[in-house]
Amino acid sequence: MSAALDDVVVLDLTTTFSAAMSAAFLADFGARVIRLDLLPGARTHKHSAVGGCPGGRRDGDEGSWNHEADLIHRNKQSIALNAGSEQGRQLLGELLASADVLITDWQLDELAALGLDYAGAAALRPDIIFARVSGFGPSGPDRDLPPIDELAAARTGMMPIVQQPGEPPVYTGAGAMHATVLLAFGIITALVHRQNTGEGQQVDTSLFAANMYGASLDLQAFLAIGHGDRLLNPISRLDVSNPMSGALYPSADGRWVTLTMPDTDRWWPGLAKAVGIDPDDERFNSHDKRCETNRLALIEVLEAGFQKQPGAHWREVFHAGQMSADVIEQFDYPANDPQVYANRYILALDHPSYGPVKTLGFPIFMSESPARLHSLAPCVGQHSGSVLNELLGYSEDAIYQFTKEGVIAQ
Amino acid sequence: MTKALEGIRVLDLTVWFQGPVSAQYLADFGAEVIKIENPKGGDQARGVRSIKALEIGDWNQYFLVINRNKKSIAIDLKKPEGLQILYRLVEKSDVFLSNMSPAFLDKAGLSYAKLSEINPSLIYATNTGYGRFGDVSKPSFDMTVQALTGIMARLGEPGQPPIYLGMGSGDAYGGIMSAFGIMLALYQRNRTGKGQCLDASLYGAQLYLAAPYLQAFLAGDKRCALQQSRRDVPNPLWNLYPSREKWIYLCEPNDDERFALLCQALGEGALASDTRFATAPGRAANNVALIAALEEATVRRSHLEWMAAFEALGLVASPINNLADVIVDQQAWQNNYFMKAYCEEVKREVDVRGLPVALSKTPGQINTLGPELGQDTEILMMDLLQYEWDEIEALKAAGAIP
Repeated sequence: MSAALDDVVVLDLTTTFSAAMSAAFLADFGARVIRLDLLPGARTHKHSAVGGCPGGRRDGDEGSWNHEADLIHRNKQSIALNAGSEQGRQLLGELLASADVLITDWQLDELAALGLDYAGAAALRPDIIFARVSGFGPSGPDRDLPPIDELAAARTGMMPIVQQPGEPPVYTGAGAMHATVLLAFGIITALVHRQNTGEGQQVDTSLFAANMYGASLDLQAFLAIGHGDRLLNPISRLDVSNPMSGALYPSADGRWVTLTMPDTDRWWPGLAKAVGIDPDDERFNSHDKRCETNRLALIEVLEAGFQKQPGAHWREVFHAGQMSADVIEQFDYPANDPQVYANRYILALDHPSYGPVKTLGFPIFMSESPARLHSLAPCVGQHSGSVLNELLGYSEDAIYQFTKEGVIAQ
Repeated sequence: MTKALEGIRVLDLTVWFQGPVSAQYLADFGAEVIKIENPKGGDQARGVRSIKALEIGDWNQYFLVINRNKKSIAIDLKKPEGLQILYRLVEKSDVFLSNMSPAFLDKAGLSYAKLSEINPSLIYATNTGYGRFGDVSKPSFDMTVQALTGIMARLGEPGQPPIYLGMGSGDAYGGIMSAFGIMLALYQRNRTGKGQCLDASLYGAQLYLAAPYLQAFLAGDKRCALQQSRRDVPNPLWNLYPSREKWIYLCEPNDDERFALLCQALGEGALASDTRFATAPGRAANNVALIAALEEATVRRSHLEWMAAFEALGLVASPINNLADVIVDQQAWQNNYFMKAYCEEVKREVDVRGLPVALSKTPGQINTLGPELGQDTEILMMDLLQYEWDEIEALKAAGAIP
């Protein structure tokens, strides 16, 4: 078995969850991802890595498992270097010259100050793929706003409509994770172009774009129609457009059920029997009656019907009838679902410090180049020596000298 | 303009949303995507006429946008002659993508074993509901899969019903996941010459989508699975506040200097000098009281007034916009997140979702919206597959193509 990206070197200069995760995603498929842990000034203390990265603390200094770092920095190496020193800057340049991809979420002025904007990077490595998660895109009046997913989500139009009427807006966090995969897709697309032409380029996705694409159907509908209260305001679940599709009903034990049966003609007889309604009931015996004339009456009937039995009952009924419906679960469900482990969506592993733990696995199955977990998050500077030796060819003596002078930490 | 995926040919045997959007990403960057459709009606999404009980207008934006830049060939795959046409397409293609169930594909003569025998370097991609392994087999739609992941149950105020992330939200995510997997396989094939099969399921993608919260849950933070109220978030400075009109998302770290600026912007001198809120730990410990006090201030004025005050002091915040605001947001238009495209169906330019990933030298493009059913059948049969005209006539007579 090989890995899809085992000839790709990626430098990871990220501070946000989504951008760091994007680099880890490439590492899952075999890329050599080197995290640039830049040391401020001349300080070489191990805990002084800059950046507000949620996974920045990687030494478990509170005695608990830093599960977030072990997710967003898994399979990575770390080099800690002092970019404030002349020699540190020199090493940074040499690393860049030997890299295929730089992933960052830094602001453009910060990057320029380090000589790591696209112009600076391309001067050192003309065919570099320069990949960035921005807040709001590379152009336009808000190009310099910070990459904060909540700000982007607030601008995307979905926060006021996903909840029930009268409830506060809802932040889902989906946009940031959408950006993770969009950036990874853009990077590989650029790498394939480089395979064919030798040409590198810039890749940008923004949290704004990512939030918009998670909301694609509502957004496209509004773009096309240009009006409609049902796209601007929350729709009560008791006023759902199709009582059998996109609908939510509470069961007897408070667990919710949801149905997606847009083709109501096909599903009505089975569903009607299951909830104790005569399938031939004249109020509901056509799609038009179910979704137009007697829509609200049907919602009421289903609401009452589902409340007669607990969630477990409904799951059995849905399963027996192979119905497109399910019970709404909490995280304990996937955490214990054999289907999840059979497909490696969650991994059970033996953590060197914390024993048996569960961690998020891999969403894509590939027959010849499966994703793999080689290592958990590195300590800051854990690979400073080996990266300088293997990638840049520095001798042990030189590395010792760099360490002594505080150019690198390990 | 150069296209990143020039020369890549993709067979797109998908319906509805997740599969089509996956192939759309490849088509946007220049792959030749050939949508394979049943001559009797084609992709069911061609029939979508309303969204949320609203008429979708005079053009079917559900189908036409996610099938943009594609060709369409109509083949009856149930006919042996039709299946042979598909096999000939497989010989000449790089990628086969389908969101039919593996059981269906096996039965239809479209298994990976069969197609890779015809073309060993083929990349064979599926979009299943629950993954290729394990024994779950049941109908899968976006929302019923989302229901199982735990994402819905943690959203909303405590006691409220669970929240669906938005129509097609999970499909959209599964689609980009699948496109990424296909690109990985293409990159590797360019080096090794070997194809492979891959799967990106709705379930797997949506569990990845839940990463920050699901991972915390797996590590023992049980609260992550439950609804949390905005009335008691640990950092009151990073929270939603109502104004007289729109809500505002304030995004500031819990530190003294930022809190002082916030009090100044709100004109709340009393809050600034309240000893309960004087330190970061104090603000965290008295979060409920502080959030209530801030809310009492924010409801007094409109979001426009507050945003002006916040901007003047460099406080980071945004109003909670609605879709009417978004479609006129210049930031979206200037970055090609929205674009204009010519729609044959109505003979005019329409506004469409654009390109969420920008590649500076090989940007995506929108050349055409979704194809008419089978519009490219004859030309593909002749030019790509080199059928003679009398063979095409015979295939029509056999009902393999319309």
